[in-house]
Amino acid sequence: MWAYLVNLAVLISINAILAVTLNFVLGYAGIFSMAHAVFFGVGAYTAALVAMKLSGGFLLSTAAGMALAGLISLALALPALRVRGEYFVAASLGLQMLAMTVFSEWKVVTGGIGGITNIPPARLPGWTVASPEQYLVLCLVCLALVMLAVATLVRSSFGRSLKAIRDDETAASAFGKNVAVIKTLAVVVSSALAAVAGSLYAFYLSFVNVESFTLDTSVVLMAMVIIGGTATLVGPVVGTVLILLLPAALSYLPGLPQSEIGSIQQMVYGLAMVLLMIFRPGGIWGFRDNPKDDR
Amino acid sequence: MLFLQLLINGLQLGAIYALTAVGFALIFGSTKVFHVAHGAAFTIAGYLFWWSVSVQKWHWAAGLALAVAVVLAFGLAMERLVYRPIQRHEGAFFTVFIAAFGTQIIVQNLVGTVFGRGFETVTVGLSQAVEVAPNLFVAPIAGVALVVALVFFLGLNLFLTRTHVGTGLRALADNPDLVRVYGLEPTRLAQVAFALGSVLVVPAAALTAVTQGINPGLGAHIMLISLAATIVGGIGSLKGAAYGGMLLGLAESLAVWKLDPQWSEAVTFVILFAFIIFRPAGFLGRPHGAK
Amino acid sequence: MKLKAILGALGAACAIGAMPAAAQDIKIGANLPMSGPNAEYGDLFGSAAALAVEHANADKMLSRKLVLVIEDSQATPQQGVVAMNKLVSVEKVPYVLSAFTGVSKAIAPVGDKAKVVSVNGGGIGPDLAELGDYFWNVIPLVNLEVLALAPYLVKEKGWKKVALLYVDDPAGEAIKKELDIHVPKNGGTMVSSQQVPRASQQFSGLAAKVREARPDVVFIASFGTQQAQIVKQLRDNGVRQQIVSYSAFASPTVTQLPEARGALFPTQSINWNGDALSQRVARDWKAKKGKDPNAYVANYYNAVMVFVKLAQALEKAGQPITGENLLKQRQAMGSFDVVGGRMTFLPNGTVSMPLQINEIDGGAGKLVKGNIVVR
Repeated sequence: MWAYLVNLAVLISINAILAVTLNFVLGYAGIFSMAHAVFFGVGAYTAALVAMKLSGGFLLSTAAGMALAGLISLALALPALRVRGEYFVAASLGLQMLAMTVFSEWKVVTGGIGGITNIPPARLPGWTVASPEQYLVLCLVCLALVMLAVATLVRSSFGRSLKAIRDDETAASAFGKNVAVIKTLAVVVSSALAAVAGSLYAFYLSFVNVESFTLDTSVVLMAMVIIGGTATLVGPVVGTVLILLLPAALSYLPGLPQSEIGSIQQMVYGLAMVLLMIFRPGGIWGFRDNPKDDR
Repeated sequence: MLFLQLLINGLQLGAIYALTAVGFALIFGSTKVFHVAHGAAFTIAGYLFWWSVSVQKWHWAAGLALAVAVVLAFGLAMERLVYRPIQRHEGAFFTVFIAAFGTQIIVQNLVGTVFGRGFETVTVGLSQAVEVAPNLFVAPIAGVALVVALVFFLGLNLFLTRTHVGTGLRALADNPDLVRVYGLEPTRLAQVAFALGSVLVVPAAALTAVTQGINPGLGAHIMLISLAATIVGGIGSLKGAAYGGMLLGLAESLAVWKLDPQWSEAVTFVILFAFIIFRPAGFLGRPHGAK
Repeated sequence: MKLKAILGALGAACAIGAMPAAAQDIKIGANLPMSGPNAEYGDLFGSAAALAVEHANADKMLSRKLVLVIEDSQATPQQGVVAMNKLVSVEKVPYVLSAFTGVSKAIAPVGDKAKVVSVNGGGIGPDLAELGDYFWNVIPLVNLEVLALAPYLVKEKGWKKVALLYVDDPAGEAIKKELDIHVPKNGGTMVSSQQVPRASQQFSGLAAKVREARPDVVFIASFGTQQAQIVKQLRDNGVRQQIVSYSAFASPTVTQLPEARGALFPTQSINWNGDALSQRVARDWKAKKGKDPNAYVANYYNAVMVFVKLAQALEKAGQPITGENLLKQRQAMGSFDVVGGRMTFLPNGTVSMPLQINEIDGGAGKLVKGNIVVR
């Protein structure tokens, strides 16, 4: 039971990092990305390769993943500067589909659908992370650092500019804000931090393949942010916990046909998305802010 | 010859994409609702058609009638129960989008639970290709698809240009107040848009069930294509959406001519990406919505 | 508040979960896709395993009641690992049925660490042979299938020109590699090889390319609902040649498809009217499902029966039923009489079994060539 709980907690921390970083662009910058799993994947593949080919430790592998994810995220920043709303959703969907094709076809690098196996355990200076409990500590530290980074950025003048642009882009640029630079930076920061989760994931499973970075993953991440509450620090974490505990909770519910549990789980979070949008667009955690702020 | 073959295949596929894309564009253009649950309507229509024709052995016309009735109800219910309440308290694009997306997830899983998650197909002779020229195979269903698409587009065009309600529908997107002056109720018009747009998926879904077969995950794919076609064609233009759908169908099919098949879906999204970056207004759209 | 909520939910979950299965039952696990696009397989595999459990309990083969705990892998690595961890540390099973190559590769390290046996009865990728001592296969891997099929196609049937459509996963690539070797070896040629992405649903263009290549026979190496779509669209688009495949065709989506009539594919050699055990499985399966069983039914039935036989031996010797002891016992026993004949484990955890070639006839399939022993 203990090992199961630790495993669940590790996955919750990793997904929470993704949800928090997605919320940074989605909630604060108003950039509705459906391609967050791409940067999760870039981080995971890069970390795995650096660890295996260059025998890099956790820090080096993660840094490499962050750098590459940040660079690739410029492909997402470009349409974000040109268009808004529905156009951007479509552009990010396109990027997600393209990335999936690359992940599964660029076999010399990603191993295709067979993936990359035998990724060595994470090493930190003076510490080889061996037991799952130690790994959980590493994940929690990373989550805390990412949340701290996001919280600091949001409170800074950069964060205020971001919210100003989200609420009224024309007015913000009239006030002398450099919209292009601010938006690009937001996308790069969010993507680079998402790569941290990718690195943690690769070292934890010691196996990565394209199936973990599909459109479905991006959709679930979006659901975590939406259900938890956009533009709040804690909301995405609440959403992550709820969504990842849902299958466990459902499987203990008596009377449900085993073969339908996965479907029921997806129906539950689909329904949660619909009902929340109708009755509480701010998400579960969104009650403390005024309605205008948690759009 | 291979090129000609791929061209014909592409036209058939493009007709199906165009039908769904026009429905999506009609709804989005007139009500500003980003109805991604359009893919769900497609899945429902496809499965009901398959269920009534292949399982219940009804006449195909009865199958179509059932699909039309249910999809119509679905579209109207979405407008009445989901989108209208959301738009009443705040019209944010993303709120509507998420609600529609949630519906898409629910329907996909519900269909899988009710009808099973396998691959289903409606077997009719029309889908079997015959050799019309040496090594050129054309199925009668390709002609049916093109004719059906043309008939629906002409009908829709007539309705939008010649009738009072149609004119109102076209004006709705730009100026709801003007619509009121004409004595039409915007909410009533929105219902008309949802009804028409939803019904357009029925022929597309039935054709798909016959030509390529259906599974519960198909709705998500159709949604992506409709979205891409609408943007490529230009948001706000029905004609653009039809051309966009046709273009994407042709591109997907012709990609196989020179590329390995695993890249054919990527071609669709490269086209979409290129349009968004270089010509966000699409080839027939008005530049609003983009900056 | 967050922490409290988790602990509360988990506490409640544990309390409920502890009730249904009594503590003295013997539990084994199954990590199968019960939802998502591959749920069809999970349902099939799970039902076959459940039938074996039912038989073992009816015959009182073990001293205590055998219980099968199914967890949903959704056929994805992440869910597979979550499910595996639950089976290993909550349910504490010594033996887990697995399916799908991606899932198997992700859960193998978990099983290895916890000394829990994972058994594959569905995936046929050659990389499944290299997942450690605690990963077993009760299904012959794909290289054996191609070895059995290639000489039959080229030499016996005289179909010298082979076109291949293969999905871009390890199994598909392995099939391409083996065909590239064994078709020429038997005197044939590969006239075209086209890769298919896993999510693709449109194949009319591929059909045109296949026709251009003018093959004698078309080999389809895909799985799930996609392979059925490929067959239908090839047939609709004027490909009239013989279709062949590998054991993935033994799925109802394909065997019930009118367009797939006449297609050939290898599976393990199983004579359902042969020995008493096979007859009993066939009869009870038909009574439950209204259909004749296929090779996957045999595989997952066998996977459970291998466990029952090992556990029986351990109980007799007075040893506890742990993964470690199961492995030792398997290495000691080596061969098992199961549905379809004698299954012999090789030291790397794969099996060699006689193969057969089947033809799809709209029903349970027709045997065209039985008992092919390769290597």
